[in-house]
Amino acid sequence: MDFCNFLTRKEIEQVHESSLEILEDVGILVRNKRARDIFFKGGCSVDTDGLVVLPRRIVEECRQSYQPTYTFTARDPKYDRTIPGDRPIIVTGSSAPNIIDPITGEERRATSADIANIAYLINELPGFDVFSISTLADDAPQGQFSLSRFYPALKNCLKPVRSNTPTIQDLEQVLELGAVIAGSPEAYRERPFINHHYCPVVSPLTMDVESTESVIYLTEKGLPVYGTIVPNAGMTSPMSLMGTLALGNAEFLALSTLIQLIRPGAPMIYAVLSTVADMRSGNYAPGAIETGILQMAHTEMARYYNVPSGGYIGLTNAHSNDAQSGYETGMNTTAALLAGADLFNMGGLLSTLMAFDFAKATIDSEIALMLKRIRRGLEFSEENLCLDLIAKVGPGGSYMDEKHTMKNMRTAAILPKIATREMRGRWEEEGRPDAHARALKEAGRILSKENPARFPAELDERVRAHFPGLVAGDARWY
Amino acid sequence: MIQDIYNAVIEMEQERVEELVKQEIDAGAGISKILNEGLIAAMDEVGQRFADGEFFVPEMLQAAHAMKAGLDVLRPYMSQGESGNKGTIVIGTVKGDLHDIGKNLVAMMLEGAGFGVIDLGVDVDTDQFLAAAAENKADIVGMSALLTTTMPGMEALIKAIRERGLAYKTMVGGAPVTPAYARKIGADGYGEDAPGAVETARRLLNA
Repeated sequence: MDFCNFLTRKEIEQVHESSLEILEDVGILVRNKRARDIFFKGGCSVDTDGLVVLPRRIVEECRQSYQPTYTFTARDPKYDRTIPGDRPIIVTGSSAPNIIDPITGEERRATSADIANIAYLINELPGFDVFSISTLADDAPQGQFSLSRFYPALKNCLKPVRSNTPTIQDLEQVLELGAVIAGSPEAYRERPFINHHYCPVVSPLTMDVESTESVIYLTEKGLPVYGTIVPNAGMTSPMSLMGTLALGNAEFLALSTLIQLIRPGAPMIYAVLSTVADMRSGNYAPGAIETGILQMAHTEMARYYNVPSGGYIGLTNAHSNDAQSGYETGMNTTAALLAGADLFNMGGLLSTLMAFDFAKATIDSEIALMLKRIRRGLEFSEENLCLDLIAKVGPGGSYMDEKHTMKNMRTAAILPKIATREMRGRWEEEGRPDAHARALKEAGRILSKENPARFPAELDERVRAHFPGLVAGDARWY
Repeated sequence: MIQDIYNAVIEMEQERVEELVKQEIDAGAGISKILNEGLIAAMDEVGQRFADGEFFVPEMLQAAHAMKAGLDVLRPYMSQGESGNKGTIVIGTVKGDLHDIGKNLVAMMLEGAGFGVIDLGVDVDTDQFLAAAAENKADIVGMSALLTTTMPGMEALIKAIRERGLAYKTMVGGAPVTPAYARKIGADGYGEDAPGAVETARRLLNA
């Protein structure tokens, strides 16, 4: 498949030039002291207010060690995923504070029990490759903020787990959990199955304290981490897609320079959630088609840098699984796929990043399968042209009972569980269920069974003994 | 004419507002009249047009800039009683959080409504909020957050205010903040957006 390109090679080079200019002439305000020291030691200038100016020579030198692949590690190697080879990899959206209660339909704060159920669901839904912990845990005991998220996630899902932590203490606690599960810190280092992600850059052109600290910590230790760049046109970047692209691209280069200065060759992803604010109200509008267009453009830049790309694509502003939710998620992800994006942080969230919904996750799994089907494409081959078969069946014949049809009927096309193909009469008899209703039913059907991916009893005992007061973390449906 | 000042604010014409305010002062118009009918009333109209979807955010901001410019011309002439200060508000983004765009918009709109605003910026901890509130004799302390992980700072500050028996009213806002959360942590008010924050501030101070 040839990827969709908006920009010519010359235009891409000009965007790159512009980003270098931004870093050299405007600079980046770095609030984290260790980061400032790293930039300074690396040859950048740092003034007393923390403004770092990156000479293009440094940025270009660091580019030499960018890696072309990134791997998400799972507890079980068969669930590892590497991009770009395994593209598109679908990752759930992370860290929503709320959840739509599957029984009452009301929005409420999410808990560790919800995370356990979500983890199990994502383990079972075929469209998802990586479980980025969808919500926070409102019931987290004091001092176990992140533990109350990562424990139920790892306990109930064998796919790679990814998320963020607010402080170094939390991060160290989560790594300790990893070591206990693996059996020892050394065993964990062999296969670090917790994948880390942060947003250390606050647009425009500022790096924060805590997230930056975590990125430095993990990069120094050689543990997997990547960042997402998030300019918001009209608010934190120019009211122009090209201006937002240049600014966001500069921020990616700045973050990447920091990472490569610490550890040349550290794998990275060029990930973005590059958006245009709705200037009528200032409201955050990631469901807009402009998000898709920007993702496509950033992906073109990533290809120029030869690093994997992607980001939060497929978010919706809708508060329910209605048409808006369908077309926003559907159109933006398709656009990004056709442009060659590798990683799709989509899945399960309504109201932008605010609330997880079980039916949305189930629908998004199906959208994910559709995206993967596009990638699979036509599978050109002599055999697939089926000329012998066409001759055999001839004019006016039928393919229905051919052996070839039977051989390929389960794989030639997706057989969706949620999308209906029924006739209207049947649908009316069933009570006119819409996609939301069918998806919620499917989620319930999956979650009503025992979780086969759950920690073996012995492992769970070991973990629970190590962390007294840990939340129960069990997937239990209603 | 006071009406011309009003119109110039709505038309976001900063220099014209400054000129007209100076003209009115020279012509002997009442300072309070210029303030309330020329400037503050215009910002009320701006807030209404924003709520109606007629004014976009940048227009609201430009009008606020124009109003503030007029206020700056007027200020040296304002006596204590005429200060027009509807109340003093100390505002900031809580500790650990560097996001300030919404908070800046709220600060501008509060100023536009005639409140005295002390903007502490970002990453502000409890002690800094309290010190600024004391120093400026604040009526309201306003807190903003974008990150759910920094929201506990709001509860901590409200608790500190209560424990020390201080009289400040509190207001909270930000993307992850909901009316339910505001109630839960005992905030006196919640601002859904910038004009909403102005309404809340007015309600809290009967201004």
